[in-house]
Amino acid sequence: MKKFLALVMALAMTLSLAACGGSDAPASSGSGESVVAADLKVGAIYINSKNDTAGYTFAHHSGIVGGMEDLGLDPATQLFIVDEVPEDEQQVLAAVDTLVAQDVDIIFGISFGYIDAMEKAAAAYPEVIFSHGTGYKSNETNFNNYFGRAYQARYLAGIAAGLKSLEIGNNNVGYVAAYTTAYAETASGINGFALGVQAANPNAKVYVKNLGAWADEVNEKAYAEELINTFGCGVISQHCDSAQPQIAAQNAGVFGCGYNSDMTADAPQAHLTAAIWNWNVYYATAMQAAIDCEGDASQFVTKMGGPAYYGGLKEGFVDASPLTANCAANTDKAIEAAKKLMVDGEWDVFSGVKLTVAADGTITQADADLVDNAGNVIVAAGGPSVEDGVITGTMNYLVAGVEEV
Amino acid sequence: MGIHIVKRDACPLWKKALFYLAAVAAALVVCGILLLAMGVNPLTYYSRMFTMGMVGNKIAYKTFENYLNVFVPLALTSVALSLAFKMRFWNIGGEGQFIVGAIAASTVALKLKPPIVVALNNSEFSFSVSFGPILSELITLVLMCLAAMLAAGLYGALVAALKVKFGTNETLLTLMLNYVALYTLTFLGDKKADWNFFLQEESARPVFQSFSDTAAFPRIMLGKFGLNICVILTLIIGVLVFVYLRYTKRGYEINVVGDSAGTAHYAGMKVNRIVLRTVFLSACLIGLAAAFKMGTTGVLSTTITGDVGWTGIIVAWLAQLNTAAIFVVSALISMLHYGSVQANTMFSNVDSSFANMLQGVILFLVLTADFFIRFRIVRTKKGGNQ
Repeated sequence: MKKFLALVMALAMTLSLAACGGSDAPASSGSGESVVAADLKVGAIYINSKNDTAGYTFAHHSGIVGGMEDLGLDPATQLFIVDEVPEDEQQVLAAVDTLVAQDVDIIFGISFGYIDAMEKAAAAYPEVIFSHGTGYKSNETNFNNYFGRAYQARYLAGIAAGLKSLEIGNNNVGYVAAYTTAYAETASGINGFALGVQAANPNAKVYVKNLGAWADEVNEKAYAEELINTFGCGVISQHCDSAQPQIAAQNAGVFGCGYNSDMTADAPQAHLTAAIWNWNVYYATAMQAAIDCEGDASQFVTKMGGPAYYGGLKEGFVDASPLTANCAANTDKAIEAAKKLMVDGEWDVFSGVKLTVAADGTITQADADLVDNAGNVIVAAGGPSVEDGVITGTMNYLVAGVEEV
Repeated sequence: MGIHIVKRDACPLWKKALFYLAAVAAALVVCGILLLAMGVNPLTYYSRMFTMGMVGNKIAYKTFENYLNVFVPLALTSVALSLAFKMRFWNIGGEGQFIVGAIAASTVALKLKPPIVVALNNSEFSFSVSFGPILSELITLVLMCLAAMLAAGLYGALVAALKVKFGTNETLLTLMLNYVALYTLTFLGDKKADWNFFLQEESARPVFQSFSDTAAFPRIMLGKFGLNICVILTLIIGVLVFVYLRYTKRGYEINVVGDSAGTAHYAGMKVNRIVLRTVFLSACLIGLAAAFKMGTTGVLSTTITGDVGWTGIIVAWLAQLNTAAIFVVSALISMLHYGSVQANTMFSNVDSSFANMLQGVILFLVLTADFFIRFRIVRTKKGGNQ
């Protein structure tokens, strides 16, 4: 008899379906021979909830919505999101199907682990544009990847940290890292920051604690406290999701540099500046390119000028957040000067030329070897910058002056 | 005036139907009010959810394939769990057993590369068989299933053995073993090393290695729609379990042990053996569900279970451990989950938590309906007359 229960539930579902079957949304507009801004449909696949109020997904969601507003698109009617999609190929492909069914023109996938699914989807749906954040795969037509030169922003934050360490007379700087050499993203972040610190304070030492996770609030705090109490660090930087390391710095009366977003509000007495992302810069660029494709998705990579977008300070994709009053004197001048060099393309962080920040905030350049902390010369004095492919893909060393503890 | 709760002698079928119907309708109304509060038209939302967005959808066949991919592991896992639950063995370890099965199936899929050659060589005798592509595929898939069933089965039987030997609590043990399995899988997904064949060699960041096409279950093409053979196999297994429970001696034993282990013992049944056998079978089927999933997705992930080990418990209970009902309920729960994803894309402020909440409200209200099916409330007046 009990099997009837379930059948009854089925009946209930069917009835309610029939009851509201008449109010279905109108059929979609169909094929887009010529996509103008007003018609562009944007799809996005998120790793966490679209209703998040902080963190990685929030940063991307704000960027997509901001980018749409920059272009005069309406996120309420033109943006379609499948959220909380784990890094599972079947689920990512199902999310792609859901978005394609909505006739979207471009799909952004924000998490690294979507990489193989995005590649397969781009082949299965050549009429749709696929754009994958933090990945490295692409094709020559409808599939690109995007990421930013966070190391440039970190270098600027490093200058602020280095000048502060001089001011407080403490050469120990701490860094709570999601990972260290396991990922090029984290290694290049640590290195960019450390080189910035050393430009201001050549005697500074950067102590790094490895979290082993992209987000772990409990240990983010605990590791920051350990860096302050055990290693005597006076400035704490971070590569992790929450503002816990900054809060720990404030509680201990030391200073800190945040990441991802301006963390001044979380630790007003401690925060100097944060390396931040302006994701809307990329999203507006990509959506404009999608509009310029005029319905021919295969033109996308050409319109973007290549299969891998790697914007930096120049594009405004990354930046140092506004300096707080906690910063040492002349930090603004030094950061401005270093930023100008990178924006103008005259100099980059991982090259054979070292910057030195003087007490008055002026910057001088000098040839010097770029050396890792095992003593290997990465770039000889005067040599060109490390290639982008290494910075995004295989950088697995930490520069001299960095110690993992 | 007071209220008495009186047990019903019998509840006619139409009344039962009415209660359950009312429960589901009430759940939809409660969540509908919430949708309204968020500025979403509940009718639009529900119609999209129950049709899973297939109306006016140029790739509706894909949508249905994706739906079946959600349905198959959930249905099979729920059926498997119901075997143990019938015996009052609280197997909360579906997640862990699924993961262990998935790892075992992946090991076979990644290690067994076509063409499969069996060779025997010694001084007097030499023998070698090379299997063609179709046979290779069959062998790979069968071995994936067997490996997954054995691994998951043993993972479950371990807890049963500890229970019959030392009287340990199976709820706690299966629960904890879920995390052992999950963190083992996370470790395999994180640790780049020469021995770790689960990861892609060429990627600088750790990414799970995809299987070759020989490790993919075949699909029967009906026009554009591809019916995965696992759907058919799952239905067949459902029928077999139904028959096993209802018409075989072993199925009867499970029921008796579930009702009273003492009675079973007194009737001369070997209770320990029945517990071990049934839990092994239950976990085996969960392993098979994992093999089906692996042979469909073709790559591991740390979220490979899709929470079926947890959702399966809810399904088994909603279906009151009835095998046929489990299929209906898992079809509906899958529809609710997958359909809400389709509906959510239309509304920027409804996220995936809504499906979980709706499922929870339905569960609570169906349990309430259950109460009213078993009991009725009688008003009594002061005079004692009803």
